[in-house]
Parts: sequence; structure tokens; C-alpha cells
Amino acid sequence: MMTNIDPSTLKKQKDYGTPGVNFCMARRPESATLFVGNSDFKVHQFDASAEKPELKPIAEDGHNSYVTGAALVGPTLVTGAYDKQLIWWSTVNNSVVRKVSAHELWIRNVIASPDGSYVVSVADDMQAHLWSVSDGKKIRTLSGHDEQTPHGYPSMLYAVTISADGKFIATGDKVGRVIVWEADTGKQVGEVETPVMYTWDPKARRHSIGGIRSLAFSADGKQIAVGGIGKIGNIDHLGGPHRIEVFDWQTKERKHEIENDNFKGLVEQLQFSPDGTWLAAAGGDHGGFVSFYNMEDGKEIKTEKAPMHVHEMSFSEDYRTLYTVGHGKIVVWELQGELEPLVAPRT
Amino acid sequence: MTIRHPQIDQFNRRRFLGTMAAGAGTVAADMTVLNVLKNPAFAEELKRQQKSVILLWLAGGASQFETWDPKPGRPTGGPFGKIATNQSGVEISELLPKMAQQMETTALIRSLNTKIADHGGGFSLMGTGRRPEAGIEFPDLGAIIARELGRKESKVPDYVSIYSSTEGRRNGTSGFLGGRYAPMFLTQDVIPPNLSRLEQVSDLDHVQRAELRQLLTDRFQSKRQSLVVSSQTSAYERVRGLMSSERLFDVEEESSSMRAFYGPTQFQQQCLIARRLVEAGVPFVKVARAWWDSHGQNFETHRELCADLDQGMSALLTDLEQRGLLENTLVITLGEFGRTPGINPSLGRDHFASAWSCSLSGCGIKGGTVYGKTDPDGNTVADGEVGAGHLFATIFSALGIDWQKEYHQGSRPIPITDFGCEPIKDVLA
Amino acid sequence: MMPSNFVRFRFGLLLMAFTLCAIDGAVAEDDLLPAETSIPEAIDHYIDATLMKEKITPSPQIDDAAFLRRVTLDLAGRVPTLHEQNAYLDSTESDKKQKLIGQLLASPDFAFHQRNRLDELLLAEIKKDNNWREYLLKSVQADKPWDQMFREIMLADGSDEETAAAQEFLASRIRDVNKMTNDTSKLFFGVSVNCAQCHDHPLVWEWKQDHYFGFASFFNRTYLTKSKRLAEKFDGDMQFRTTEGEEKTAEFMFLTGVKVDEPKVEVTDDLKKERNEQIKKAQNDENAPIPEPGFSPREEFVRLALADENQSFFAQSIVNRMWASLFGSGIIDPPDQNHSGNEPSHPQLLKWLEQDLIAHNYDLKRLIGGIVASQAYARSSEWNGEGERPQKWFFAMSEVRPLTPRQYSLSLLISTTSPESLPESNEDEKWADFRQRYENSAEGMADQLERPSEHFQVSVDEALLFSNNSRVENDYLRDSGDKLVGHLKKQEQPEQQILLAVKSTLGREPDEGETAGFLEYLNERQDRPVDGLKQIVWALITSPEMRFNY
Repeated sequence: MMTNIDPSTLKKQKDYGTPGVNFCMARRPESATLFVGNSDFKVHQFDASAEKPELKPIAEDGHNSYVTGAALVGPTLVTGAYDKQLIWWSTVNNSVVRKVSAHELWIRNVIASPDGSYVVSVADDMQAHLWSVSDGKKIRTLSGHDEQTPHGYPSMLYAVTISADGKFIATGDKVGRVIVWEADTGKQVGEVETPVMYTWDPKARRHSIGGIRSLAFSADGKQIAVGGIGKIGNIDHLGGPHRIEVFDWQTKERKHEIENDNFKGLVEQLQFSPDGTWLAAAGGDHGGFVSFYNMEDGKEIKTEKAPMHVHEMSFSEDYRTLYTVGHGKIVVWELQGELEPLVAPRT
Repeated sequence: MTIRHPQIDQFNRRRFLGTMAAGAGTVAADMTVLNVLKNPAFAEELKRQQKSVILLWLAGGASQFETWDPKPGRPTGGPFGKIATNQSGVEISELLPKMAQQMETTALIRSLNTKIADHGGGFSLMGTGRRPEAGIEFPDLGAIIARELGRKESKVPDYVSIYSSTEGRRNGTSGFLGGRYAPMFLTQDVIPPNLSRLEQVSDLDHVQRAELRQLLTDRFQSKRQSLVVSSQTSAYERVRGLMSSERLFDVEEESSSMRAFYGPTQFQQQCLIARRLVEAGVPFVKVARAWWDSHGQNFETHRELCADLDQGMSALLTDLEQRGLLENTLVITLGEFGRTPGINPSLGRDHFASAWSCSLSGCGIKGGTVYGKTDPDGNTVADGEVGAGHLFATIFSALGIDWQKEYHQGSRPIPITDFGCEPIKDVLA
Repeated sequence: MMPSNFVRFRFGLLLMAFTLCAIDGAVAEDDLLPAETSIPEAIDHYIDATLMKEKITPSPQIDDAAFLRRVTLDLAGRVPTLHEQNAYLDSTESDKKQKLIGQLLASPDFAFHQRNRLDELLLAEIKKDNNWREYLLKSVQADKPWDQMFREIMLADGSDEETAAAQEFLASRIRDVNKMTNDTSKLFFGVSVNCAQCHDHPLVWEWKQDHYFGFASFFNRTYLTKSKRLAEKFDGDMQFRTTEGEEKTAEFMFLTGVKVDEPKVEVTDDLKKERNEQIKKAQNDENAPIPEPGFSPREEFVRLALADENQSFFAQSIVNRMWASLFGSGIIDPPDQNHSGNEPSHPQLLKWLEQDLIAHNYDLKRLIGGIVASQAYARSSEWNGEGERPQKWFFAMSEVRPLTPRQYSLSLLISTTSPESLPESNEDEKWADFRQRYENSAEGMADQLERPSEHFQVSVDEALLFSNNSRVENDYLRDSGDKLVGHLKKQEQPEQQILLAVKSTLGREPDEGETAGFLEYLNERQDRPVDGLKQIVWALITSPEMRFNY
């Protein structure tokens, strides 16, 4: 299928202020209804098509810290937070179905498999766990990232993604290591390294910053895009270019090395177009950006400055609408172009 | 016939009052090696009398939210939770789990409002305990402690300042107290350079040429009162004593199990060196851990730095306690200021001096206490507001130093505690 | 600067208000000495007037040997050689002092030392940059007026090879607009604008923020291109929040309160976009052309700073800095605290010197030459009088000043070189090369030493360095033909050895007691005479007489 939306037509359409920081979202398919995890510890429903959209907690009960991951499978929403818990919600009843003490340390992200049978959570205990959506049971653990950075400090496991065919899971950590796993067996089948995304300053400030913050497989599963930040001089700030490396993960050949110094900060989320011709990236530092890169030559097609540090994005099925959530805002963008109907993208 | 000039006798008298005569065959005990720690009687004596301070300087400004005064659940609280400690009613950040298990010798002050939120100003304020004043150079805490607790004939330095990272690195100052109390400032290597005598200079000559130098100095200084000249004199006077303390700085003198107990990081090993120094009678050791200035990615940075602090500080307190030193050693954590309740879009916290925390452990401190409160969001001090001066008065009191003591500059009295400030009694034993 | 009691201090501190107009207006024009007065006369007139009023007897004038040493250190950055000492002491000319001063000012040494002095003021704390140092050297050698140097330092854009390195002052501070702002105001105007941020005088807080951000605005658009050139953007204003929480946009404002209005030009969105693209390109591409906006805030700043009605600030500050360098403290002290809570000790003198400097085209060499010719400069640092020593701001006696690392290391090197290996005179054509070579050799040791700052104290690190480091043994005490120790060894009589040792290093003759004592020392080492000589030289070069300018 060809997508012929033109990324260069990206334009901000609506801009909504919200309290707190919106760390994650899951969009109900074929709708503008977003489930948003916020720094207020709550999971909200946000109806972007309403006249005056606003965050509404789906229940008073919930997490005990920042909600950092949200995955929607049918009516079931699974969220993860810094409270080390995963919560299953019914978005029909707006209620908590179950709470699971999922990790030893803070959960950084939660995503759903393409077939909706399981979710994967990643946390700073450096484990990725697979959980059955239907009954909340742990299916498998993916263990392989080092608990400590090479400099002797506790590490973090920020990013996870699953290939469209459900075969492979990739996880990415603080020190720039991506492990590709066979989803069915949990076996490690690949690895790529992006050490530039981890800045350790031994001399001036003696700590580190950065890390892999986002991952995405191309639709054919052969390529993996890794997002983070380039080398930083003054690590008090996110003062480095946003950085993406694209690999043929099986051969480990790096296809593209992209840095954008005009829009500094972390790449918090990545997504390939279904036909693999472009890659979308969103993130920020004090400000934010949404960028599109040509996957043939790795060059920037378009970047729009976002009015906030973007933490997560979701394209509508026809790719003409882009929902972004982040620091104090939810922003809706539009894109132009004619399209064939597409396979629904995962949110 | 040679006429003996009166000055010759004076010249020679001084020399002979020194360690030895050049012609004599005997050489006094080689003072270039002093391993205090291996002399049990001496060490015992020191333990009984010597009080010391270890200042763990959290350079850059650590966040009180992520250390001593967590506010989980508040919009300003960040994602980390709080944990109970082994002292009932006292909770600290979950990022300091080891410290939480041993708060019995530590008191927290949560109500600092020091108003100055730039690094240089904060360094000066929290270093000297008061705001700067034109025309006066106040000594910093290290210099005051060196003066009050140091021994005149000491063979060890009085004031050691270890600051290995480059960011925010500033030397301390002994101000009007003069060079005698200036810090030994260790930046590159922790073992101070130039502590061993060169082979080509005999020990005798090393001593005697210094005496020659002193004579020239006496002649020069007799009619000139100058702080800076005195500082040079003091510096040279201390050379021999310092040379004998070289081994103290060498962490490899400790067993590998002791080194592992503290931990592998630079800061943790420097905590170990601090223990060695106070054990040998150094009255004031400052170990800086730079750089906490997390304008971006505050939570990631504190995850790393708090892990470092937690391990280093808890090992240090435990080790001091086991050696019977903690009751005579005051361990402080302090920085230039705290960090904002507000969280910026890079998930950072900026400078904030209106409501922040510090800790005091050990000598003279009532462990398990918390003084002062901040409001639920940590924006202001709700109760027990104190400033740098109160903190200093408290430190002096804990060490048995008269906090109302005055120094003098000319005829002007200068109290060691800033005006209007008293010790915080609640945290004193 | 005239604190009479403790309360005054506190009050002054609380009232750190920027009454900048008041500084200028405090001294009535007709009070001043006529412009034709010579600099040394003017200095002595005002200083002595205050001394008389306060009934303070100043310390006496120093003798020839001491003066030679002091002025050579201050004008040439080193101690005088044996030959220079002999020449000066033996001279019977009545105007030998003035001749000496003239000779030192004309020698290559002056430019080296003045270059170091300016470098230490402006950049050395941050980095050592050889191109910048070369720029300073050439500028001083060419007798470039100080206002022209200021202009070049503020406006260099790399296009002119001669002045390109001048941009280093700002370029080294480019990452932080606050640093550019504060350092410029502190080092060129003697004002710590920074204070305006922290200070909490409730009534004038608003106003001070305007000053701070107004001044910073001049630097806010400055950036460094990828090709490492200073450039300015087309737009960009500083925003700040007042204590009431109001968001304000800063206006360009010089320290006197005078503002600059930027000409309003209509700019289409497209043009704006294009311009931003150009700037971006310049920031990322080494070969991209550097856009030049029509309005340059820094040019406006320089224009304002040097305008007739404003330049008092600028002139006064450099006068005060040069004074502080030569006397140990400024007429306004500390020299970066020019505000109404910190009055100059001799406002009329400062005003006169300031006007004199302006009238003579900002000729610093002339100013320095005039200062060192005064009696005030040549006073003894010994206090033999009754009662307490007078406070330093009366300039009744000389202050003991630590040598800078470069002065000390160069002096150590020269004084421990065999007199036979030194060129005879600084008028010798070989001298410039010699000076350059020795300055280079001395750099290694200079880097080990701490630069004097306010309330500088010699650290124990330095004492350990001199006591135990092999560099000292090798560089200064070596027994070889070209070194002092080697030269001393060749003398027949120990008395001669001692005389030469003391003269070479301390610039004076030893008294009887010292000679006897040194003799005794050598006597005890007859079996190893070179060791004895080395140690005597060691004691001399580490003594305070060598370490300080007194």
C-alpha cells in the first residue's frame, strides 16, 4: 500500500492546555478518543473531537505515581506507572479490573502486541515482562540488559517496541543498547548499539544523561529505528541535537544516522510509515518538535516546532491527523494527501 | 679578627633552636613518615579528644524532594515515593534506602530559607554562614573549624577540601584568619602532590634551608603587617608536617574489603579517605560531589547521584560508628541551595533557596529528629524557618564550640555566628 | 570606601542602589586641578591633601634599589638584572628616576607585561588563548588607545585578521549571556551588574531588573557561527518576569539608564523565516555566509559607552584598574563594586585622572608612567610610625602585593640565570627576543601557581611545590655554566658569592648580619659547597622579598 500523505504539509490544528505532564496515550481505533496517562497519577479520557476537550479521569482509583505507559486492546486498557504497578481497566465500565505488582522498579512504558493478546512492560529493574491481556498473568520475562551502567550507576530501561507481524520485540536502555527478542520464545536474536545516545561526563559533572527513549520497527520488520539525543556538552540540560539511528538489525548495518541540532532534545517516540518511506519522530527539551525523515536518504522532510515537549504521538488510521501529548498540552495536527485505506496502525 | 655582628648570634641561635646542627652526625627521627593510624596509643588519644567535621558538599544544589523532604502525590512531588526510616515518623525519599535504615544518628533540617539562588552566591553564603560584606573577608566553615579544633603542632592538615570534578569548583577561603587555615585543595589527585622530599636534597638540608628562609622572612615581616605575607609564612611552616601525612590520602592503604564496603565510585572512595583523615586528627574534611544542578532530567540525575550518596554516606556513618569515631565526628550534607517545586518541560528542577533541606549526623546531634516543615507542595517554609547563620550556630554547638565567640579584625569584633542567629536546639543532643 | 563605622557597612549593603547619575555629578568640575597639571603632581596633591586633613604622616620614600625593583616589576613584569641595578645605583643624574621610567616604558618588556596585565584582567581566568594574547601584545606595542581596544574587543567579527582574535573575550563566554553581560560590566565598567539580580531592596527591585536585563539585551543576539566568528541575529529580545509576576520585554539600556530604540522595520513572515534560515545555516555550516543585520545591539552599546556624556564610566573604570594594579587596591575598592554604597576614597583625584585619560586619547602607557612617577607610588611598605597603621585607602604607605604567577616565574628564571648569560641592557636589540624566550620558558611554572585575587593567600600547595618539586631544582638551582649557581661557584670568595646571590635575586645588598649568617651556613658545608650555594639561592627565591612586590 502506498501512503501518499505529504509529511511536509504537517500543520498544527488544535492546541489544548492541560494540567501536569501527559506521558503516554492510547487512542481508541477509528476515533479521537485518547486515554492519557498524566503526572497527576491518573488515567484520563480525552475526547479530541469534542467542542471543549479536557482531561477527565476515567476513575478516581488508580496509580500512585506518574503514569508512563498506556496500551489499549479493545475495551481493555493496560497502564503502567512509577508505582511499579500495571493496572487493567475496563473502558466500558470506567473501572479498575486488576492491579498487578509488575516490577521491582519504576515502569517506563507499556505497549500492546499487534494481535492484542499481550502487553509488554519495561522498567528500571531492567526487565521486560509480557502479560496476558485477558487474565493479567505473566507470560514471559526478557532479561538481558545490564542493571548498572559501565560507570557503576543504576541503569534505566526506557523503550520497547514490537514488530508489526508480532515476531520480534525490541528493548532499549540508558547506555545505548538495543536487544531484539523473539516474542514467542524470549530468545535474544539481535542487538544493536547506539552509544552516542548515552553521555557520561567524567570530568565536569560526573553523571550521565540521555539513553534510548524510543524504538520502532519498519513495517516489514527488517529495520529498526532508535531514538534518543546526541552528545551533550553541558549535561545539566538536554542540550544536544535530537538523534535517530536506523539499522538493518539483522545485519547490524546502520542505514541512517540523523541528528537535528535545530530541535534539541530527546526523541520520545518514533513511527515508520506503513510503506517505509518516512519516519516520524517526536520529542523535545524545554520545547518540542515533530519531525519527518525520508527513509531513502535519511534527510529531513519537515519539522514543526511543537508548543510542548512531546512524550507520545498517535496517527489516525488515515494518517491525516496526528495526536500528540506532552508537557502541559495535547496538540492535534493535520496532514494533507490522498490515501488508500490502510491497515490500522497500532496506537 | 672577625667581628661577631650581634645579628649573627641571633641568626645562629634560631638555627640551633631548630631541629639539628649541620655538623652533627646524628639525624633526628625521620619525620617524613608518620603513620598515625598504625600507632594505637596515639590513635586512642586522638579519639578521645579530637572532634572533626566531614562536610559532604552536594555541589550544584541537590533536590530536597528527591532526598530529605519528599512530597509524593503532590503536583510538585515528582514520581518517586517516600519510605519509612528506622526512626518512627521520619520518612525520606525512596532514593535513599540505605540511609533510611540508619537514621538513628542523623537529624534533618527541612526549613532552610536562604534566599540566594545562584551558585556563586550560594557557595559563599553556605560556605561562610553569612552574606558577604564589603571590606571583610569572612572565613568559611572549614577555616573556622580548623582554627577552633585544630592542634597547633599538628602534623596533619587542618582543612582538606576534595573537589575532583570541574563544575562549580571553588576553593574555600580562610578569609581574615589567614593562610594558616587555608584549605589544602585537592582537585586532580586526591594524594596531594609534592609531599615527598627529593632524593637530591638531604633531610638535613631540607630542614635547614627552610630555617634560612624563615630568617629572611622574619627580617621582612618585622615591620610589615600583611595577611598575604603571613599566608606564605604559614604555608612554608607547615611543609614538614604535611609531608609526614602523605599516606593518609592513599586509599590503597586500606584493605580491599574496606574499599568494597564503601563502594567503587570516586565519591565513595573519597568518603573513605575522609574517614582516614579524621581518624588521624584532621579537624575538617570537605568532600564535594558535583554536580547536582539538574535543570533538565532531574529524576534521572537524582537516581544516579542519590544512589552514590546513599551508599557512600551510609558506609561512612557505619564505619565511623564502628571505629568509635562518630560521636566525635559531625557529618553534614549541604549544598548551595535546593531545587524548585516546579518541574520544567525537560523534567528538570531549577535553583530554589526558599525552602530546602540539609542533614547533620553524629557528634552532638540528636539522631532521628526532624526540624522544620515545608508546606505540602514545598513552596515555602511552614514552620521553623532558619538560615545559614542558624545552621552554623548549630554546627558549632554540636562540636562544643562557643557559637557566640568573637574574632577580631583590628578593634572590630566579628562573631563567628551571623547576627541574630542561634543554634537549633531541637537537633542538638 | 570611607567606612567609618559598622552601621555604615550594613546600610551601604542594604542600599546598593544604582544611583549612577550621582557618581558623575558628585564632583564639581571647578574643584579639579587644571588639566595641564602633570599626573604625578595631581596624584600627590590629592593624596597629600587627605593625609594632611587626617593628620597622617605617610611612610618615607623608598631608596633607589627598592624603587628600581618595584618599578621594574610593575612596568617590565620582572626583577631588575644585576647590570640594571648597577647602572641605576651608579647613576648620578638628577633626573635618573624619570629617565628610568621612560626607558622601561620604551622597552619591549613593557608591552609583554602590559599584555599580561590585560590578559589577566580579561580572559586568563577562563582560558589561555595564544591568538588573543598575540592580539593584546601587538595592540600594546602599537600604543593602541584603550577605547579602540575596547571597540575591537566588543565588535571584532573575524573579518579583519589584525583584530580577529579580539573576539575571544566574548566568544569564550558565548554559552552564557549572563556571563558576557556581567563580565563586560565588571571588567570594563567596574560595575557588578549581577548584584541587581540577587538584591532585594523592595522599592527599586523593578528598576534594577530593568537595568540588568537592559544591559544583557545588548549581548542577547550574539552567537558564534560554525566558522567560529561572532555574529548577531536579526532579532530576539530578553524576556523577564518581575517580582509581581509580570512578563516584561527588556529594552536596550546602558548602565547610566539611557536607552536605545531599535528602529522599527516591518518584516514579513517570509523574510523572517528566510533570515532565521540564514542564521541556522551560519550556525551549522562552516562555509555559510554570515548574515549581517542592519541593527547591531553591540555596536549601539559601544557607541553609547564611548559617547561623551557616558564615557566617564568607562574611563574611570580603567583608571581605577590600573591604579589598583600599581597600588594594590583601587581608589574604588574593590574595583568591581562601583556603586553609591562604595564611594571612591579620592573622588576628585579619580575624576581628574579620568578626564586626563580621556583628554589624552586613552593612552594607558602615559597614565601608568605618570602614576609610577608620583611620590605616593614610591612610599615604603614598612610602618615605623606610632599607633595603628593607616587604612589602605589613604595610600599613606605602600601595600605588599603578591607577584602574579608570570611575574614570579619570570623573575625566578631571570634572577637565577648567570648574569653573564643575560643581555646587558633592555635597550639591546637582543632584548625583545630574550624576553619572549624567557617568558615562554617561564610559562610552565606560571601555570602551577595561583593567580592573585582579592584576599589572596599563598597556599600550602605552593610551599610544597617549591620544597619538593624537581622542577624548582632543575630550573632555578641547577649547577651549570648558564645558571646563577654555576656562576656563584666560580667566585673565589664566599663573601662575593653571597653578595651576588642576594643582589641577583632580591635586588639589594645583604646586611652584615645576613652576610655573616650565610657565611656560617656555607662554612658548615665546605665539603659540599655547591649544595650550600643551592640552598642559599633556594632560601632567597622562596623568601617573601622575592615573592612579593613591596
